[in-house]
Amino acid sequence: MTKTTHAAAALSPPRFGWRAQRLPIVELVVLAIGVLLPLVLQDYLTVYATRVLILCLFALSFDLVWGYAGIMSFGQALFFGSAGYSVALLARDLGITSMALVLPAGLLIGLTFALLLGGFLLLGRHPSSVIFVALGTLTGSYAADRLARGWYYLGGQNGIPSIPPMTLGSYEFTEGPAFYYLALGILLAVYLGCRFLVRSQFGLALAGLRENEQRIAFFGYKVQHLKAIIFSFSGAVAGLAGSLYAFHEGFVWPNMLGVVMSTQVVLYVLFGGAGTLIGAVIGTVVIEAVSFWLSNSYQDIWPIILGTLLLLVILFRPAGLVSLIFSERERVGNFGRASKRGHHGPS
Amino acid sequence: MDNLFIALFEILSFGAIVVLVVLGLGIIASMMGIFNFAQGEFVLLGAYITYVVHSAGAPVWLGMVAAPFAVGALGFVLERLVVRRFYAAPIIAMLGTYALGLIIREVVRGLIGGLYISVPEPIGGSVNLGAMHFSSWRLVIIVITVLVMGGSYLLLARTAFGLRIRASLENPALARASGISTNAIYGATFAFGAALAGLAGALIVPVFSLFADLGLRFLIQGFVAVMVGGIGSFAGPVAGAGLIGTLSAALPWVISPVIADVLVFVLAIIFIKFRPQGLISGKGV
Repeated sequence: MTKTTHAAAALSPPRFGWRAQRLPIVELVVLAIGVLLPLVLQDYLTVYATRVLILCLFALSFDLVWGYAGIMSFGQALFFGSAGYSVALLARDLGITSMALVLPAGLLIGLTFALLLGGFLLLGRHPSSVIFVALGTLTGSYAADRLARGWYYLGGQNGIPSIPPMTLGSYEFTEGPAFYYLALGILLAVYLGCRFLVRSQFGLALAGLRENEQRIAFFGYKVQHLKAIIFSFSGAVAGLAGSLYAFHEGFVWPNMLGVVMSTQVVLYVLFGGAGTLIGAVIGTVVIEAVSFWLSNSYQDIWPIILGTLLLLVILFRPAGLVSLIFSERERVGNFGRASKRGHHGPS
Repeated sequence: MDNLFIALFEILSFGAIVVLVVLGLGIIASMMGIFNFAQGEFVLLGAYITYVVHSAGAPVWLGMVAAPFAVGALGFVLERLVVRRFYAAPIIAMLGTYALGLIIREVVRGLIGGLYISVPEPIGGSVNLGAMHFSSWRLVIIVITVLVMGGSYLLLARTAFGLRIRASLENPALARASGISTNAIYGATFAFGAALAGLAGALIVPVFSLFADLGLRFLIQGFVAVMVGGIGSFAGPVAGAGLIGTLSAALPWVISPVIADVLVFVLAIIFIKFRPQGLISGKGV
């Protein structure tokens, strides 16, 4: 009896049940909260929330490579930090603070670095092992951290302080609601862009190579090229986030480039749920919010709690927090016409 | 001339330290196929235990003897409870052990704070050769490294236990069919790797002092060394660690320390890219 009902349930088109529509609902709720938040928050909290939004953008970049393509980019902060440092130098040495220049510059720096590192690690005659890619990116980020610490021009241990504010015409973006809505707008635009990308045919191929790389290769896809493309794209997003972060905080320092930031973003995404985009956002918000709440009273044990949470998530809920809300099918997404007509069987 | 000998001694002793730190990591990676990201924290624990035993009033050497046993026992328990669940996927193993390491590191940080605690050398002073002075303790580290390397090699290559480990690595199903409990073997191997890290931490704590990020300092170095050397053999990680350790100690004598540090990693990554099997490829010992 159970067998037939299960089969029937699997075949019924998901669009008829509200359960299957949870993903857009969650997305809209998150967006609504994001829009309304500055109206209820005190000013200093709005500043904190802006930082969280920028970190969400960074988390999205990691979710693209790890959640969708299965590439363990363990040094994602390299792109975030190098873009941050670059725009800080632009502002400090050349006096360029115009938003129309610094944000694309950060994006391009992230893209270029990711293209170089990704090209080196992912392309070539021998396909690289996942472990090698993880180690290569981690080492890259560690080396950049060391270099920034030791290089006097980059401010060494202290980084580059007091970056002038980002400008749009004669308007200066200082901390506060304006910067918050700017960050929210950019996050929304990038989120929609990523959502479109991962739900396209390209995204389907990515999800396929995450699940079974060999089979996708047999279908004739150039797996390594796909990986290099998504890796570069994700580097560009991380670069955009890094340049926003540099102007929001007003300074950059070596931790932005190194292992600390790199592992933090892994934590956000794993905790929220890899391969969902919205999970990356939720993970970042939850971890940062709890961390803000606990940092005063439990500063010493908070990292221990964080590590324990991470371990528990890996052990018992590898799909992260959002897997509590929606199903695997919705997580991966429906692709193509067949699924829209409700033909969900293994075809 | 004297300076040259002193430089060589420095390089050799640092190389020995890296070999000591990396040996356990290499054995776990080679024999079990997982990268243990908590290995650096096992080194930290070894150092911490030495400090605790010493501050309780016992001689330092007693702490150094206790450290590998305590860390090995902890490794055995952790393998049973946690690490065992990760064997299916190398990346999950990496993240899971990283989380374990994070917890251990932060617990130790909570215990010692942000301090650098110095622990005395059990054998102080220096050996003098003419005008040259060599730290006795660093000489002892070199000697112990050679002994530990030899002992580990004999254990893996010449004993029944080593044979079982290698059998479990080559073909787990066949090993189980021949009556080898591969689960027990994995537990013992992990514990052995952890014990080696504990010993390394205990021996190097007089040189580097005790601080919470002590393990982190060697983590990336350790992985790069294992990859450069090649996984799947005993000699591989040792050769890799020797090479990386020697380079990281030697280059700062010629170029600025920061550039040296970065250069070692960049060269290593390029090397692994074009020779993924490492310096020494092969299965077994």
